[in-house]
Amino acid sequence: MFKKLFIANRGEVAVRVARTARAMGIRVVGAVSSADRGASWTRELDELVGVGSGPPRESYLQQERLVQAAVQAGCTALHPGWGFLAENARFAALVEAHGVTFVGPAPRAMDLMGLKTPAKRAAKAAGLPTIPGSDGPIRDEAAALSIAREIGFPVMVKADAGGGGRGMRLVRREADFAAAWHAASSEALAAFGDGACYLEKYVERGRHVEVQVLGDRHGRAIHLFERECSVQRKHQKLVEESCAPCLDDATRARIGALAAKLAASIGYAGAGTVEFLRGMDGSIWFMEMNTRLQVEHPVTEERTGLDLVRLQLEVAANQPLRLAQEDVKPTGHAIEVRVNAEDPARGFAPSPGTLEAFDIPLDAGPGRVRVDTHVAAGDEIPPYYDSLLAKVVARGATRAEAIETLVACLSRAKVVGVRTTIPVHLAVLASREFRSGDYDTGSIPGWKE
Amino acid sequence: MAHVKLVPVGAPRAEALDAAAWARNSAALAERERLLLERRAKVQAGWGATYAERVHQKGKLTARERVERLRDPGTDAFEVGTFVNFGRAFGKLESPAAGVVTVFAKIHARWCVVIANDNTVASGSWWPRTPEKIERAQEMARRLRLPVVYLVDCSGLYLPEQSQSFPGAKGAGHIFKMNALLSAEGVPQIAGVFGDCIAGGGYMPIISDRVYMTEGAYMVIAGAALIKGAKSQQLSSLDIGGPEVHVHASGCADVRAPDDETALALIRADVARLPGSAADYYRHGVDAAEPHFAADELEGLFPSDHRHTWPVAEVLARLVDRSLFKEFLPERGREIACGVARVGGLWTGFVANRQGVVEDAELRDGARPAGILYKEGIAKTAAFSRACEADGIPIVWLQDIAGFDIGVEAERLGLLGYGSSLIYANSTNKVPMYSVLLRKASGAGYYAMCGLPYDPVVQLATPLTRLSVMEGRTLAIATYRTKLDADFEIAATDPEERAKLEQAMKDTEARIEGDMDPYKAASQMDVDEIVRLRELRPWLVALVEMAYQATGHRTVKNPRIWSLHDLDALVEPR
Repeated sequence: MFKKLFIANRGEVAVRVARTARAMGIRVVGAVSSADRGASWTRELDELVGVGSGPPRESYLQQERLVQAAVQAGCTALHPGWGFLAENARFAALVEAHGVTFVGPAPRAMDLMGLKTPAKRAAKAAGLPTIPGSDGPIRDEAAALSIAREIGFPVMVKADAGGGGRGMRLVRREADFAAAWHAASSEALAAFGDGACYLEKYVERGRHVEVQVLGDRHGRAIHLFERECSVQRKHQKLVEESCAPCLDDATRARIGALAAKLAASIGYAGAGTVEFLRGMDGSIWFMEMNTRLQVEHPVTEERTGLDLVRLQLEVAANQPLRLAQEDVKPTGHAIEVRVNAEDPARGFAPSPGTLEAFDIPLDAGPGRVRVDTHVAAGDEIPPYYDSLLAKVVARGATRAEAIETLVACLSRAKVVGVRTTIPVHLAVLASREFRSGDYDTGSIPGWKE
Repeated sequence: MAHVKLVPVGAPRAEALDAAAWARNSAALAERERLLLERRAKVQAGWGATYAERVHQKGKLTARERVERLRDPGTDAFEVGTFVNFGRAFGKLESPAAGVVTVFAKIHARWCVVIANDNTVASGSWWPRTPEKIERAQEMARRLRLPVVYLVDCSGLYLPEQSQSFPGAKGAGHIFKMNALLSAEGVPQIAGVFGDCIAGGGYMPIISDRVYMTEGAYMVIAGAALIKGAKSQQLSSLDIGGPEVHVHASGCADVRAPDDETALALIRADVARLPGSAADYYRHGVDAAEPHFAADELEGLFPSDHRHTWPVAEVLARLVDRSLFKEFLPERGREIACGVARVGGLWTGFVANRQGVVEDAELRDGARPAGILYKEGIAKTAAFSRACEADGIPIVWLQDIAGFDIGVEAERLGLLGYGSSLIYANSTNKVPMYSVLLRKASGAGYYAMCGLPYDPVVQLATPLTRLSVMEGRTLAIATYRTKLDADFEIAATDPEERAKLEQAMKDTEARIEGDMDPYKAASQMDVDEIVRLRELRPWLVALVEMAYQATGHRTVKNPRIWSLHDLDALVEPR
């Protein structure tokens, strides 16, 4: 096993990775920007290397500087966390070229899954159901329209290189097609230098279901069952849970097997997530694969009793998977909420500041509470980074018990100094839609903006 | 660490060059590339649809259709010698591609050299330079140890021009010597005989390890017409040398096939029996990857005016995997960039002429133009070339060079000696080398950068290539030097004499300008192919993979023990 691990990330994920690494007897070196220097979470790391100033592009996105820091600190592996450079294939290749093991999949797998069209082709080849649409990006409006007619309205027009909603248009009627096509295409051209867009059938009232997969470097892959993340605000997940309320056991087993098959077919090594969209009619479609550890991975850990970071490190050290698929036996129900320093009353605007109090009780019942956080009372929340303060995970024997536990915990939570998303979570957890499982990614159940 | 520490090179398009220059360069290049595509299409059409139709009527495929069916579906083929004999007339006739298609093609994932007589051009007969073109392709195969597939359909020499293709050192008979050498060196050769194969065409397949014949094909030393004349016998050529004779009686062929398709399928199956490519083994566990900055963007980087400069780092960034590169001795001999990178996952050495102005090693705080060679750059290149040879790293030479530095200082420093050391290194290298004439390839610089006289396995040109000893203007001055004053102005005062001299100098300049045309170079086989700039990266990926396909014939060291590390270790700050 590696003796020294470099974490090319900050905050909550740095703390999460460091905890497992140190428990495994691995020394941990962290990268810190000058804005993070002295932050309480940095005490969880054995050594620190300054990598630049506050803005991420001056520090946590400085590829060469991070690699140099890892090499100079004598680290033999580098964990990218999530966000920043976690899915940057060139960075992974650069790290490996300097003799440092990248804790993640091979750059080739990141390349493949990083672009929509090749990813969809690979999924199709592995036998996953893919949303009907164009096979690859198209430039010609007339060709696009004929495909739209073929797959039937409503359709989504999306930029091939897009992301974050840019260059994306929903078209409900043929009459609106031309205008939407031009808008998406010119937006894509301006943002990515390429006006090509692809088409996909729009799945009405979709539910977001994702499967956690784990592959080793010897060609084997298994799945660790699913999470549902349908409570979203503008594609940002707010609440994640497992099992997915929207699936029956047969579908659960089927998509798990499909996800593992995809991972094996592309020689995927490490932890990854295969995302599916479930339609109102129960249809299931492959969306994309995230080639990293996910923010919401504790949901899976709570149900399976596995430590995903430990498994990632073992795979990175070329250890064959010791788990067989039948060894994975999840129990109970787990729900995670993301407590962000945002003001829900003001359109979820970031709310930086100093934490005067920060207390999330762990002894709320009837289930168990886990809090993953990197902040403590007295900390300054810098303005440069994402607003995640903590992930609160409740585990219960049943979904109702998990909800009850989480409500009990969040009602007693005391966070002073910044606005947080806790009121939203409490509203969601109390809502009839959430409790009955009747909601979709289009709106937040129990909350009106 | 004894491994190569690659670092990111290049910048996004918008930072690499301003938009106006980008647009200007792209537009100027587009015009030249349009001409290239047009000319390429014309050559590939052979003598045209009528002749292709004639071939089809006989139940046969054209040479290009055969190559299509032979190679793996979905893979690119890389043709060499497209423009041989381009623009050259033999009486009223032209010989597109010299009547033979020579191409690198993948068959069952193995790179092969395919040599196919073009049966739409004078029944595949051999024109002046056809033998040389075939021999050049054989030589490429010999150097890279690639299997050769001959698709023979050749009615012999084009006799009206026999004196140009028969008796010389590279005359048609030398093809068979190359057959023999390839065989002697263990390079697999497979032949398919598809039609009339008379005289030379009859000899070409025989040395091959396996010979396949279609039912309509025959191989004869002399055809029916000649026999009728000489022996008054009424026979068809098929009776004399068809599969009945050669497969069963003479043993000059091995297998008969009912038609072209079946013969091609049998040849493919034979290639599959050969060892597979070692390229993936030599990738050392690293996958091939595209450049981070798109190779298509090369089209905007080169000003068409050869006096204007381009950024070497941006060009390299668009040729190498993930735009990761390691430059060796970056602080010395700045006019040359030497370094290694992966191309298609395989280690490749690059030597490129840096453009613009670099620091003057001989003069503190001084600067001097790059794009030519000075002492340190020459010494660095020689050391790098030798190290790549020792380590078995194929070298790609990216030329845009005006020549060697000249003058008192250059002679005093002994550039002749340093240059000769480089020449010696390149001349004795056995590692595969490829040269690319990006723009200027001038004077001794062309030689120092492994131009064709130094035996690169393949030499590529672009539509911007200018190949010459010196520029036209310079030559005009040199020619009329005695009639010019100290400032190279015309000395004569008589208006008539001045006008005459002016015209003469202009003519010289224009003639040289015409001679520098890449199509002229390609026509006389001074470059192997003219490629579009966006094709350059796929070409290099293919050529480098070919260099690593066969094992056992050349050194390939693992990167841990590269002598390049020794160079690096000595210049790293302590």
